[in-house]
Amino acid sequence: MADLLSTQLLFAALVTGALYGLTALGLNLVYGTMRLLNVAHGEFVMLGAFAAYWAFTLAAIPPLVALPFIVLLTAAAGLAIYRGLFRGLLRNPRLAERIESNSLLLFFGLSIVLQNVAAAFFTATPRALPYLDSIIRIGDLGMATDRLATLIIAASVTLAIVLFLRFNLLGLAIKALIQNREATLIVGIDVEKVQRMSFALGFGLAGLAGGLVSMLGQITPFMGFPYMITAFVVIILGGLGNLTGGLIAGLLLGVLETYGVALTSTNYRSILIYGVFILILVLRPQGLLGGRRIAR
Amino acid sequence: MKRLLAGLVAVAGLALSIGAQAAEPVRIGFSLAQTGLFAAAAPSQLNAYELWRDQVNAAGGLDVAGELRMIEFVMYDDRSDPSEAVRIYEKLITEDQVDLLLAPWGTPHHFAVAGVVEKHGFPLVGNSAASVQLRDINPGNIWFPTSAIPDRMAEELVAMMQSQGVTSVALIANQLPFSLEIKQFLVPALEAAGIAIVVNDEYPPDIQDMTAMLSGIQTAAPDAIVALSYPSDSVLYMNQAREVGVNAPFHFVLVGPTIDFFAGMFGPSLDGIVTIGHWSPYKTEWARAKPFFDAYVAKYQTTPDYLDSALAYMSCEILQQAVAVAGLDHDRLREVIALDTFDTINGPVKFDGVSNATTPTSFLQFQGGEAHLVWPESIATAPYQPKEAWPQ
Repeated sequence: MADLLSTQLLFAALVTGALYGLTALGLNLVYGTMRLLNVAHGEFVMLGAFAAYWAFTLAAIPPLVALPFIVLLTAAAGLAIYRGLFRGLLRNPRLAERIESNSLLLFFGLSIVLQNVAAAFFTATPRALPYLDSIIRIGDLGMATDRLATLIIAASVTLAIVLFLRFNLLGLAIKALIQNREATLIVGIDVEKVQRMSFALGFGLAGLAGGLVSMLGQITPFMGFPYMITAFVVIILGGLGNLTGGLIAGLLLGVLETYGVALTSTNYRSILIYGVFILILVLRPQGLLGGRRIAR
Repeated sequence: MKRLLAGLVAVAGLALSIGAQAAEPVRIGFSLAQTGLFAAAAPSQLNAYELWRDQVNAAGGLDVAGELRMIEFVMYDDRSDPSEAVRIYEKLITEDQVDLLLAPWGTPHHFAVAGVVEKHGFPLVGNSAASVQLRDINPGNIWFPTSAIPDRMAEELVAMMQSQGVTSVALIANQLPFSLEIKQFLVPALEAAGIAIVVNDEYPPDIQDMTAMLSGIQTAAPDAIVALSYPSDSVLYMNQAREVGVNAPFHFVLVGPTIDFFAGMFGPSLDGIVTIGHWSPYKTEWARAKPFFDAYVAKYQTTPDYLDSALAYMSCEILQQAVAVAGLDHDRLREVIALDTFDTINGPVKFDGVSNATTPTSFLQFQGGEAHLVWPESIATAPYQPKEAWPQ
């Protein structure tokens, strides 16, 4: 059995957890503010990864340099989707009532379209990036540079967003919208703008996650699905729409993936993750930190 | 004079119409997983098909018992669903009335369409399928050129490890049918050979982190590591084994290393890795091997998959050579495919029942970025080299 006190396990848990937390954060923002279930979230991770791949392959731009542009690109795509597909639906009170289930279908369609458009344009051939592949060794701990960079960026961006939501006026407005939509309208917050910004931020974060995972594994038009599933597990665990809960749940999943497996066996990986998922839902249906107001 | 001219025009017209008839293309049908679960795997097969078609057409066409005819593909997306492939092959045969068939991607799809071709007595040379159960399919209508069948692979892998003095092995396997089938034969073969299995783990296909498992292997310090992995977890394995610093002189990784992006992603880290495969462009005795490799790289700017692309191209070569002798008559084609020996990029191929009876079960090793056959020694293109520690 692996040594539970090894720094190697801790590093692995942190990298996995930070990536899960980051991916889920984008999904949670969009759900929290508008009750839109973005099942195409994984496809924007995929698009982010392809953007990083093409920037590197065609223009020799390293993924870490391309990251801000990838975020802008996917954020812009998010805005376009908001304008094109959802603004009208959200404005119409009768349609807005059914938005949660309708958004599921709309995003599902979008996800299939994006997968197949990507397959048509980029072909389904798997690709990968040779980038930051040295190993840093400190004592017994080995850290692949790309994984270390992923940990640092995912953790700092997540922290920056937590601070943004706590101290920035727009951030506070986003939080207010998540907590109580009606009250937000009453106090005169520009809900339309807040929704727009949440959409852009949520999709930008998916692109960021994609840019990061492009350094770690293979890139294909169909790579997004597992990220979407994990992100869903994380935000349901943490409490739908509860951003802090999502971050804790992301980290918890990272710990389960490494320490849980170290204590039992890799055979039990899925049983552990989904077992804990079901257990928490039985004991706390609103999620770890979800309040009754949010988990309806 | 006018009459003569009119006569000439008529003759020319007749000649043209005969010419047009002669140019009637041979229609070859197949389905491929262009979307869905296997979509990332299918291009290696489609690329080989299209390369073959373009080469044959550029050379004047397919030799159909002496007559040259252009090749035209009738292709459908089976969405990675075997039952969809069944419908498509039924349609290709009855509605589209194609002249010939090529195979879909993967073992489940081959099993699924075997019944269709048997029902219609339509010959089909398969390619990307490998399972001991293939041998249970009724012979006569479908043939499998691969020699990477799990039971034979397990035997040969153990023989290869024994030749290297391996006494202990760490075995990890993805819980997917092909890898588990190999494992099912590998464990008893290792036990019979007296090789201790010091780590024996399985993991689900969606695994995201292997650190704990790899730390266990590091503690056990075996002579050999056998990772029965698929592409995405092969990437994970390579990355994390290097990060954790798990070294063993004998290092086997099942599916992935022969896909083009692997060499690009891992560079020198790939050197020393042994993997599945019975074809290499560096086998000079197989005169067609290197030209195929070069043409593929020139057309697609990626290397062919040493297993799937090679098998797909072999199946086209076998069909082409059989059609040259037998024409398009199904009975005659079945007879020729069953009895003749074919000259392929993988050397001579002759079938016994549904299986390839000539190509030995072999393994590739990456050396200086090239995939060389290292086992069995009788067909090796380079001697096996123990894997050095991962580069930092």
